[in-house]
Amino acid sequence: MKNPISKTMPGKGSGRFTQIILLCAVVFLMLGAGDPATRFNEIGHQMMCICGCNQILLECNHVGCPASDGMRNELMASVERGDSDSLVEQGFVQKYGPTVLAAPTNKGFDRAAYVIPFAALFFGFGLIVLVIRAWKNRPTPAIADGLRPVRGAELEQFRDQARKETDL
Amino acid sequence: MTWIPLCLMLAIACLYYVFYLPGRLFLGPEKTRAGYLRERKDAVYENLRDLNFEYKAGKVPDADYASLKSSLQDEAATLLAEISRLESLAPASRKPRV
Amino acid sequence: MAEIGSFALLLALALSAYSFLAGIVALIFQNRASSQLVGVTAGGPGVTPSVGESSLATMLRQGSERIGETARRAGIATFAAVLLASVVLVICAFRNDFSIAYILHHSNRDLPGPYKFAVLWSGQEGSLLFWSLLLAAYGFVLRLRYKTDPRLFAYASVVLSGVQIFFLLLLNFAAHPFAIVTGTIPADGNGLNPLLQYPEMVIHPPMLYLGYVGFTVPFAFALGALIMKYPGEKWIHITRRWTMVTWAFLTCGVFLGAHWAYSVLGWGGYWGWDPVENASLMPWLTGTAFLHSVMMQEKRGMLKMWNMWLVFATFWLAILGTFLTRSGIISSVHAFAQSSIGDWFAWFLAITLIVFLFFFFKNKSHLRSEHKLESLVSRESSFLFNNLLFVLLCFTVLWGTWFPKISELVQGNKVTVGAPFYNRVAIPVALLLLILTAVGPLLAWRKTSLESLKRNFMWPTVGAVVVAVFLMITPQSWGSPFGLKPWQDISYFYSLMAIALSVLVTLTVASEFYRGGRVISKHTGQGMFASMVQLTHRNTRRYGGYIVHFGVVMVIIGFAGAAFNQDKEMEMGYGDKMTIGPYTLICRSYTDDDAPNYASEWAVLDVYKGGKQIDTMTPVRRFYKASQQTSTMPDIRSSLNEDLYLVFEGLNQDNGHPILKAHLNALVMWIWMGVWIMLGGTILALIPNAPAPVRVPAPARLERTQAAPVVTGD
Repeated sequence: MKNPISKTMPGKGSGRFTQIILLCAVVFLMLGAGDPATRFNEIGHQMMCICGCNQILLECNHVGCPASDGMRNELMASVERGDSDSLVEQGFVQKYGPTVLAAPTNKGFDRAAYVIPFAALFFGFGLIVLVIRAWKNRPTPAIADGLRPVRGAELEQFRDQARKETDL
Repeated sequence: MTWIPLCLMLAIACLYYVFYLPGRLFLGPEKTRAGYLRERKDAVYENLRDLNFEYKAGKVPDADYASLKSSLQDEAATLLAEISRLESLAPASRKPRV
Repeated sequence: MAEIGSFALLLALALSAYSFLAGIVALIFQNRASSQLVGVTAGGPGVTPSVGESSLATMLRQGSERIGETARRAGIATFAAVLLASVVLVICAFRNDFSIAYILHHSNRDLPGPYKFAVLWSGQEGSLLFWSLLLAAYGFVLRLRYKTDPRLFAYASVVLSGVQIFFLLLLNFAAHPFAIVTGTIPADGNGLNPLLQYPEMVIHPPMLYLGYVGFTVPFAFALGALIMKYPGEKWIHITRRWTMVTWAFLTCGVFLGAHWAYSVLGWGGYWGWDPVENASLMPWLTGTAFLHSVMMQEKRGMLKMWNMWLVFATFWLAILGTFLTRSGIISSVHAFAQSSIGDWFAWFLAITLIVFLFFFFKNKSHLRSEHKLESLVSRESSFLFNNLLFVLLCFTVLWGTWFPKISELVQGNKVTVGAPFYNRVAIPVALLLLILTAVGPLLAWRKTSLESLKRNFMWPTVGAVVVAVFLMITPQSWGSPFGLKPWQDISYFYSLMAIALSVLVTLTVASEFYRGGRVISKHTGQGMFASMVQLTHRNTRRYGGYIVHFGVVMVIIGFAGAAFNQDKEMEMGYGDKMTIGPYTLICRSYTDDDAPNYASEWAVLDVYKGGKQIDTMTPVRRFYKASQQTSTMPDIRSSLNEDLYLVFEGLNQDNGHPILKAHLNALVMWIWMGVWIMLGGTILALIPNAPAPVRVPAPARLERTQAAPVVTGD
């Protein structure tokens, strides 16, 4: 596999900088991910207890819950076996159904759950930029219907009045 | 069955309150064009005061301040002129209607 | 007794129906009378001329005015009737009248007094009655204050009556609170849900409902103003206080709900992204957007259509929230018993939408903007982005709440949309909003120079960066709760960003007070503090608003603390020890007790910190006899740094030892303090502005630049 950094065109300093940052971020994110207790905690917070209490698996707090103890033990066993995150999740989904996952996955229609809000954000952002530009370029509307423009000495007199009254 | 007379009394009290209207009604002053323009003038005045304050607080540069202030004062002047014209035409129009 | 309540409800329905119909008739005839006069004087849009009335028109007008007055009075009488029904229900609760099904199902003889009072809003029928009562109460105040602008208030009154009719129809025909038990009447009731037997439960629902219901008032005014083509923006000025008070109630209700969840549910958190929680958050988000964008309309005559939509959405979402809770269409831990009233709500939602759309498209031309935007960099454009983000957050919550249903329709299976989803989607948007909160106050209306923006933004940014670096490098071994390495976990990154941006907002808000104070101080020669007080008093809405922002920042810091939460679960016999964070807990004893309403089990734990005993804590678990349900009463020891939160989870069946769960929740107290500050800021914003000071005339008038005013705007 080619190193993506080697493809960078000379002179594209900012692109390289972003890639280095990304690389660092990925490396740091990987750190500490291997510890079973951390993984148990992480995956356990991505799952729901299925007893009907609507709580995150590791936050389910009622003693004698018919589901959560067994589920936790299963999760611990999978993590200790060294199963990958996706394998653990797949196992749980097969056994308990898709509602065991606390959030939609990144596959298929589930992905829409994440894509739509961000798409709406970018769409809205673009829309507002367009709106602002349009409003900036539109002609000044009349202050109220049927107003006559004032000129000359009369204008000066009322301008002066406005200035004095707002100067207070 | 004590509740029947109680309920009847309640219904009669409500009907009496709703439909017995002695004296004249308060209808408030009629909203005139001058009144409407005065509201508009107040809003423009607020904006002018606001602009002055923000200028003083260092948010608006001199050049912008001059042009914005000038356009707002024009707006205020137009409104003031129309208000004074309307008031000279119909001085009675602001009388409250009771 | 029940008969009186039933009669009062029927009477209320008749009165509100009369108020609605007579109100419409009166307004139609008033408009006819006015239209006969059009052309007598040159009038602007909707401005009624007032000279030269014909005799027919006068008669028509006087007749309709009298009908209008009876409509107003019928609205007031509706309040009296609904109040009577509510009082009757509460009296029945106190008299243990179990012949009424509602009392039988939601109360019992040993229920303490305050909860008997709370029975009014503890179940489906009662809470609908309570909703109706609050709506009638708002209507009562509105109709008493009609002299402010009788015509506008008449329109708003009709809209309110329309909504009131819906709730009274529900109460009379679908969810009757005075329904009688058939057969033999049991000796005791089923009791109140134990989760609801907590002091805050007595105030949380009223606050939330006051907020929900209250948004009907600005909506009624907005719709009324649209229907009558109200000239100008004065109606916004009239409703401003209503909106702020309602917003404060809703804020209070939402956070009381969070606090109640934290103190009662015993899972260690305050927000579970449950559909019902979301339902209260959605109108809050659009309502907050409305509070901001309405300023654009008031000051600049812009965003009129958008505001109309926002206030409608807020009202509509409040009803939708109730629909979600009552219909059982979306599963929730909060849900009331499923019933047919979901259909009623669905119809009501549809009808309000149609009515709104009809008048919106009919009178759209009345809502055109009066100004143009002078610059891209201005307070105006920041408000547009502010609104985008609030509405987007609301959309995200709505989307997340409905996604299980959508997924079921599209791919045939339900999915769970829990906290991890919202953390991934809503937090980035909320952080963007926080950036905007920091920048917004530095922007002037109309036009801001980039130079001044850079200048004013620099020091706050430096401050925020310094704090962020400090949080990253202070090791936890110093006793700092931080040592935040944003690359270790995305939640740390979010926390760091949230705290740094909070500092940024605080500093920009502070700099606003400082700069404004300096202007006043220069003018009046007062000290800085006195000047800032005067500044606030001269424009309470603006500076009160900044204080609300400061409160929000504290709440955000409290939320950011969640990244450092820890918990531990242990079975603890006599003398057993548990260590969590800086605390060591030693089990001193455990026991049980029996009270008339419930039986309880608890443990007594000594809390040590740094080798010294600092406290004794007693987490409790109760078994409520009437409802046969258990409930936990966590014991919480709060400090600015963290809460030690202990839950009595139960007993080990084999050896009888209690099982305890300890949570260490960082910075939670900041949330509750922040809410108090938000409320304080809102109250400040409600105080009328001090009048513009009279300037000393002589020297200042000569030099124009020095004579610039010190009266602040929004």
